[in-house]
Amino acid sequence: MLPESITAIVARNERWTGEAATEPFEAGWAREAVVFVRALKEPAGAAPMAWIEISPDGMHWVPEGTRLKMPTAKDEIAVARLTCFGNWLRVATRFDAGAECTVLVTIHLKA
Amino acid sequence: MRTELAEALRTALLEADPRLSRFDPLPRIISHDDFSRGHCGWSQLVGNYEGDLDTMLPGYAQHSSPMLSTLAHWDAGSHGGYGSSYALKVATRPRPGAQNVAIKRLTFRKRGPIRFEMYFTFKPEATELTLGETDVRSVGFLFDLQGGDRDGDAERVMPHIRFLNASDGDHVQKWQYKRQSTKFKPIGNSDKTLSHYHLAPDGWQDLPGGQQRLCYNEIATKVNWSYLRFDFDLAAMKALSLQCNDRVFDVSDFDSIRMPAMKNLWCMLNFCLFAETDVAKRAFLYVDSVCISGDF
Repeated sequence: MLPESITAIVARNERWTGEAATEPFEAGWAREAVVFVRALKEPAGAAPMAWIEISPDGMHWVPEGTRLKMPTAKDEIAVARLTCFGNWLRVATRFDAGAECTVLVTIHLKA
Repeated sequence: MRTELAEALRTALLEADPRLSRFDPLPRIISHDDFSRGHCGWSQLVGNYEGDLDTMLPGYAQHSSPMLSTLAHWDAGSHGGYGSSYALKVATRPRPGAQNVAIKRLTFRKRGPIRFEMYFTFKPEATELTLGETDVRSVGFLFDLQGGDRDGDAERVMPHIRFLNASDGDHVQKWQYKRQSTKFKPIGNSDKTLSHYHLAPDGWQDLPGGQQRLCYNEIATKVNWSYLRFDFDLAAMKALSLQCNDRVFDVSDFDSIRMPAMKNLWCMLNFCLFAETDVAKRAFLYVDSVCISGDF
């Protein structure tokens, strides 16, 4: 049987300001993940760094170590490649006051 | 015509197969999804849009992808599924009234009886050391159906059933159905796309005798799988039977959301699973397995 592979849309057309993160996603079956963050609209203000977080339970989060620069223009894409992430995954970031980005966040998982 | 011998053989094969023995499928198995082989064609219900995602109705905008879960809990580890480590998980956002919907999209080849069976359970996210039995508002399922393009009686028909677990903190625990949707809203300017949020909270009606106390267990991280079966006739577009665990419910009053046939949906055979939270806590619908069968 071919190994499972799936594209999950975890944030679609969400306007991110201040503290922002995707909803918890379980991916324990996957050996690798690629995360894309695309700006659907022209971002405003300084583009912050975003980071991947992992979790033992989907409720308590810790940085995994991978960081990605949030898109600085409409349709720009930030990417992170991951292995060894356990079960839970999310993307988090923090915007300065007045800064924002409307995002499409997709996770591409492969067993 | 199937002979008695053929039917006896079919039944014997089903009963001897550990993966299917806990189902009672009609003669043709349309799909059997146990989620140990992947997502099995269950994806998120995305709303209609045109030109700009901002045109999507808010009810749909909140939806996200279902996931394969081992029901991993902070205190007891992975609960696992009924027959494998995995189940499909439909998770809401942590906002009162938030909903999420997973969908499998097919078409049918004959308008006749179909049977939808699943093993399911539901829980809130275990963010508090409390039972949380009134945190999940509802879980349920719906079909989205339309007759063939040559059928004189073609309508779009959407049977909806939910288990209303709780409402504003009241532990209601009853089965409901729905006949009304919200009004259609044009999406974009091309006159090609409409949208209606059929899972809006109003319009649910009680199924007669539909009170049922399910096995919820005693802390938020213990779950038990429940059996559900819904029989529907695609010819008459009528519900035939609803069973959950040991209870069979009277569906003689049941009707579906009905509307004129739409121009791009002929022979549509869609199945949806949904969850809804009553509080600012994520609600999780877990589905161990689904068996959809038909008599054709």
